[in-house]
Amino acid sequence: MKFGTMLSDIFTSLFQAPVTQKYPFERQPTPQRLRGKLTWDPDRCSACSLCAKECPANALQVITVDRNNRRYVMRYQMDRCTYCAQCALNCRFKCIQLGSEDWELAALDKKAFTVYYGRETDVNTYLEETGDPNAEKPGPD
Amino acid sequence: MNTIAALEQAEKLLTPWTKEAVRPESNRLDVTIAGLDLYACAAALKQEPWGYLSAFTGLDLGLEVGELEPLYPFCEGAAITTLRVRLPRQGGSVPTLYPLFPVASFFERELSEMFGIEVTGTPDPSRLFIPDDWPVNVYPLLKDFDPKVVQPRQADSPRSFQPQDGQTFYVPIGPQHPALKEPGHFEFTVDGEVIVGARMRLGYVHRGIEKATESQNWVQNLYLLERVCGICSHTHATAYVLGVERLAGVETPPRAQAIRELIAGLERIHSHLLWLGVSAHEAGFDTLFMYSWRDRETVMDILENLSGNRVNYSANIIGGVKFDIYPEHAKTIRQGLDFLEERIRHYLDIVTTDILFLQRTRGIGRISREEAAHLGLLGPTARASGVVRDVRIEAPYGPYSHYPVSIVTSEAGDLEARFVVRLKELFVTINTIRVIMDNLPESDLSVRVPRRIPAGETISRVEAPRGEVFYFIKSDGTDRPERIKVRTPSLCNWTAVLSKAVGSQLADAPLLIAGMDPCFSCNDRMITVKRLDGK
Amino acid sequence: MFSALKPILQILIFPAGLFLVASGIVVEWIDRKLVARLQNRVGPRWFQILADIVKLLAKEEILPSAANPWLFIGLPMIALAGCMTAALYVPLMGLSPAYSFSGDLIVTLYLLSLLTLSKGLAGWNTSSRFSLVGATRGLTQLFAYEAPFLLALLGPAIVAGSWQIDVIMQRNSSSWIILTQPIGFLVALIGLMGKLELPPFDAPEAETEIVAGAMTDYSGRGLAIFNIAKSVEFVIGLTLVAAFYLGGLNNPLEYLLKTFFILVVLIGLQTLLTRLRIDQTVGLWWRYGAILVLIQWMILIIWKESILL
Repeated sequence: MKFGTMLSDIFTSLFQAPVTQKYPFERQPTPQRLRGKLTWDPDRCSACSLCAKECPANALQVITVDRNNRRYVMRYQMDRCTYCAQCALNCRFKCIQLGSEDWELAALDKKAFTVYYGRETDVNTYLEETGDPNAEKPGPD
Repeated sequence: MNTIAALEQAEKLLTPWTKEAVRPESNRLDVTIAGLDLYACAAALKQEPWGYLSAFTGLDLGLEVGELEPLYPFCEGAAITTLRVRLPRQGGSVPTLYPLFPVASFFERELSEMFGIEVTGTPDPSRLFIPDDWPVNVYPLLKDFDPKVVQPRQADSPRSFQPQDGQTFYVPIGPQHPALKEPGHFEFTVDGEVIVGARMRLGYVHRGIEKATESQNWVQNLYLLERVCGICSHTHATAYVLGVERLAGVETPPRAQAIRELIAGLERIHSHLLWLGVSAHEAGFDTLFMYSWRDRETVMDILENLSGNRVNYSANIIGGVKFDIYPEHAKTIRQGLDFLEERIRHYLDIVTTDILFLQRTRGIGRISREEAAHLGLLGPTARASGVVRDVRIEAPYGPYSHYPVSIVTSEAGDLEARFVVRLKELFVTINTIRVIMDNLPESDLSVRVPRRIPAGETISRVEAPRGEVFYFIKSDGTDRPERIKVRTPSLCNWTAVLSKAVGSQLADAPLLIAGMDPCFSCNDRMITVKRLDGK
Repeated sequence: MFSALKPILQILIFPAGLFLVASGIVVEWIDRKLVARLQNRVGPRWFQILADIVKLLAKEEILPSAANPWLFIGLPMIALAGCMTAALYVPLMGLSPAYSFSGDLIVTLYLLSLLTLSKGLAGWNTSSRFSLVGATRGLTQLFAYEAPFLLALLGPAIVAGSWQIDVIMQRNSSSWIILTQPIGFLVALIGLMGKLELPPFDAPEAETEIVAGAMTDYSGRGLAIFNIAKSVEFVIGLTLVAAFYLGGLNNPLEYLLKTFFILVVLIGLQTLLTRLRIDQTVGLWWRYGAILVLIQWMILIIWKESILL
């Protein structure tokens, strides 16, 4: 039977800095496999839509702007995404990556959560056609 | 006794009432009986004793067939005997199994509120998961359920406020309470500081997951079921994919299985350290809480490094795992494990020798072995009372036959024993992880599985940090499941809290609740158990 | 004119009033900060306690319908008033007490227990489940530790042969009573923990069982005043124990050092120990606390008799 079994712990803590990470002033380096924000490369896409079909949250949509010239636009809803990476796994041409740098995704406005990926001209064409006011600027590929 | 012999024994026991006996899988026996014979069959199995009642399931066989089918699986080691009863869609009823298995009252309430099956003689017919203002005669798990029908109605509360008579009054704990990390409602009737009655109601985080699985395809369901719980997410995912892979008839490559077990082990470390902190906080020992959670960060960093996320690792896919373990990960894991092993040794020392902490835990909430078996407890709560019940050992699934774990039990059965069992389990887990990393087989990470899973039914049982997770999966050959039933261990363990709360002090109530490591979100259902003594 | 103003200044500014509230804030900040650092955390910044008080004062105060409004609003004020009055008789900041009369030790101790009594009454008044249990526990605990704590503080009084705080302090300033009455010091220290409801004796306010005990239904001004009263009592308690057992407080520097030392010991004990159940607290006190202090008294009385002979 001992009294004050945690004495060693609290004593050593007097001489150590607190373990609390002073975010946002200090940031831990993100692990390489972190599943952060999705990015899409339109050049390799074949619009098979396997990514969209198997998304558990229906966060992806592959939109055809011009089928003959293989112009596609992807609409990605960041707030619906669960960051599971099933889409990245399914894509046969490895168009989709879940980046490890972009993970601070909070925003004050819901508009920021709907992202359109693709070549700038394609996205603009699509947005003019549909007149979607909720569009963000096209994301980089 | 081995599985085949166990199944034969069960078949023999049930012969007087058997209408039809089938062996759908090598470890399963399905026996169709008449509803009225249910009690006699259950009594025969309990008498032997053959296994324990693991769950109830209900099946809606569709509008053409016009029947409902409740299923009662009993598990003995790896053998599962399921009693099946056919009932008409309306007006069917079965007798209660409560006198034999107290845990049955939870299951029966769920059965009746989800399917409309009446259970005669059940001690508490009130609703379990479904809120009070849900319309009557609308049963969500039936195939012809139409969500538009659901309009909230004036709820007549099944728990009317009982007037105070002098000395006793009731103290509500939850749904909003600093003691509970997740919402649940406990009503303790107290006399001074002594509890004389206990009731509870759950279902505050019921999300209708079982119904939701019927409208999503197999791959999407993997992620949905993973999110039943944050701390046992990998276990749920594993149970699901094991069942689906069995239905699809594919064999997962050995490396994938080893990685699955490794992640399950890391999850167990995470879960038990989390529980240690939470229980210490409930006891008022905030220092232990802070330190154990500080050390928990180590295992979370390891998991983030490995999988990309601190919880909900999404390691499994149907047919294998998503990612591999490279030497640099293995090195981080080993370093983390060495650090954690030393810290856990320190915590074990604290928990077993600190004089004031022992005053709060030694001898409190003692459950004897017979009581634990009778109440149907699972997981470390049962093992702390000396019941040898661990799915990884009784019915090794997947990789556990190659990398076995040893069981940790204690005879004391009190709160201290629960602490000790969980911490000692972590030593076993750490060693198992080291063994796996030393012997990782070389193979692919996954195999292809067709999008349409062949028709069939299967039962998948997996040991979560809290106990046995039971999955019943039925496929009709399409790319969506027909029925998935999830029975989580916390559901069975509530009987422990309620039976022990009566007669204890109010100050022990949070520790009793925390001692069985409840996972409210795992529950996925609501349970109300009335245990009022003489009131 | 100044002599007429003096009592008012003493009550409002120093030693009671603003100075006392400020020192209460400082002591509470040191407590929370040091506990955090011992738990390897960062802890609150220097203005946190003040910010808490300001925030609480700005919040709406909700009056429970079952409570008597006069009692509800008045009890926190009574608690704070009691503690502030007690401050007039203790040597705050190492200066001699503002007022001193024979027997003021007893008066001070009773004034200090006004806080617990007010909390108990407040809990009964709001009559919600958690407050009732908290109030009951608080009063039970009062019965447990009050007697040994009182007796422990009376030990030095016996040696000094007086019931007046100032006199006791003067007569004991040459020798440190802690050396001759270590048991008494121990009981006084643990008694202080019980009085202030610090862990392991914080069952009346057990967050994980009864939300906030007697304080559950208080918010806004009432809660702010109760919290201030608690930190003020902390200061006075520290001063008393330091004055009696650590050889008197003759100047501000000694005051700061000695009270800080006791504070650190209390914080260490607070961090190390887990909360005890109320029946275990009472059991501990009536078994060990009372016996220890009675032994101390026996020794004292025998020693004093032998000296007089």
